[in-house]
Amino acid sequence: MNTFSNIKELISTLYREQRLLTEMFKKRKFLSYKYDFALDLVDNDDNRVQYLIERSVIRSNGNFLEIDDQFQQFFEQVLEVNEEINISYINENIESVRQNILYYFNEPNETRKYNYLRLIKNTFRKIGIITLRNVVDLKRNIETTFKNEPNYKIKKVKLENLDKKRVDISLLIEQTDKLISEDEETFFKSALDEELNRVITQLKLQLAKCTHNLIDIEKQIIDFLNQIKYQSNITEKLRQIKYLKDQFILQTNTDIDAVLSGNNAAIFEPRPLYPLKLSLDYLQTDAEAFDSIKKIARRIQTGIGTKRPLADIISDEYLETQVEEDVQINLEEVKNSFLAAGNNLFEFVLNYPFAEEVSFDRRVTIYCQLVSQYEALFEITDHYMQREEIEFAMVYPK
Amino acid sequence: MEVPAQTAEIFEILSKGQFICSNSTDSNIRKLYSIMEEDQNFDNLCDCFKSINFILEKGEEYFYFSRTELKVSLERKIEVAFRWIDIMDFLKTYDNSFSSGYRFSPSDILVRIKTDAELETKLEGLKRHTGKERYPDIIDRILQMLENDSYIELENQISHTYKVLASFKYLEQLILTINIPEDLRNEIPE
Repeated sequence: MNTFSNIKELISTLYREQRLLTEMFKKRKFLSYKYDFALDLVDNDDNRVQYLIERSVIRSNGNFLEIDDQFQQFFEQVLEVNEEINISYINENIESVRQNILYYFNEPNETRKYNYLRLIKNTFRKIGIITLRNVVDLKRNIETTFKNEPNYKIKKVKLENLDKKRVDISLLIEQTDKLISEDEETFFKSALDEELNRVITQLKLQLAKCTHNLIDIEKQIIDFLNQIKYQSNITEKLRQIKYLKDQFILQTNTDIDAVLSGNNAAIFEPRPLYPLKLSLDYLQTDAEAFDSIKKIARRIQTGIGTKRPLADIISDEYLETQVEEDVQINLEEVKNSFLAAGNNLFEFVLNYPFAEEVSFDRRVTIYCQLVSQYEALFEITDHYMQREEIEFAMVYPK
Repeated sequence: MEVPAQTAEIFEILSKGQFICSNSTDSNIRKLYSIMEEDQNFDNLCDCFKSINFILEKGEEYFYFSRTELKVSLERKIEVAFRWIDIMDFLKTYDNSFSSGYRFSPSDILVRIKTDAELETKLEGLKRHTGKERYPDIIDRILQMLENDSYIELENQISHTYKVLASFKYLEQLILTINIPEDLRNEIPE
């Protein structure tokens, strides 16, 4: 197997095959990138693909190609898209710090001592970044698992595993913390370096942030696990009850009767109807109600016309006009004449020349009618006269 | 005793055997829920409804009515409960996570029926509760029943999406309260 002889060769190779590598990196999840597709992206030059395979940038697997794990991890880490939470890095780094501190103490040469110090600072910086990244990844993974994993059992196991990772990360944080503040106190006291102090402070801040995040993650995992437990409990119970119900032994073998007897929720009742009578006042007075009545009346018309009995033809005799004459006394005219004449009213009426013959009784009636109608125009005195057994008041015009 | 102005509205809904849920899509119902949620209001409403023989019950994110005395026969309750068991079993078979907050559309279920024989058999079993023959009709009828009892709500008319309300937890709780004796539980096949 060939390897790259220098960094320049590596970078120029990656640059030359950027199209292919970008495409394969995008499709790294599908694990089935065909050799033929790859050829299209390298201008059908088989040698170029072979060159990458020889240098272990990509691997061929039968008819398929995939990016070598080493490179894939490198890309993922640099681009911060990795999904795997790998805590071994932190562990390794802690170890390397311990070793370098040991070398630092035992190295008499200042220059080389300084090199070790530089390594230690680098590693601390890395620890901070990796831990933080891991915490972020963990949180995202937990949420994705909870929301997207369809299988309940797998979901539960996955979450439990992620919870284990959480414990591991917090253990590592503790170890790092211990390393800084207890185990290697001598080193931090003796290696007076401004930058180291800054790196350490930064690391402490990052670790504190991680710890807080982890506490929150723990809460979330517990909540998710509880939800899953609740849901799977229900599903399980429901399945059992359905089974018993289908076997027709649910009522005899469980306490469902007792449970339901004790449950008086309104949900079990048939939908109540309140057949209240309409207010008569409302029906009789409200215009809107009248409209509704008309509407309903139209709707309930049966369409069957009731047969009305036909009457016989009206005979012509009934249609002939018959004249009946009646004498009408024009009281207005009589009054006007009276006002002009100035006699007493009774005498006046008695002698008034009506168009027709008018009886004495009728004339008395007219007298009374005039008095009652035009009382305001007449002067009614307290003198009374008598004629033909009728006593009457003397009335004059005003 | 001061009851909130919406008391009549609350009574209207609850006395029909419906729920008032916190996650309803209807802003009016949500408003009613938040009013009832206040301790003072809740106590006053409890007293008020108690005087007309209704007990205001508070569940997890939902309210409902129950009575002080038996109003319906045990047979009716069993019948209703059996119907719910069948429907819930069908829905949980469709999706394990079918619970409060879940969204779905009838067409999703129909599509699944084509590829899931177990679900299809269960749907067949629901025929007797609906009196319908065609699958879409059965599903529509079931969803209508659930909607009438306010366990689900039509959230989007255009995409015909339903939302499961908090009241669905009432059914889940009911299932959990039924006690199966230990020895019988062992006899039920996995």
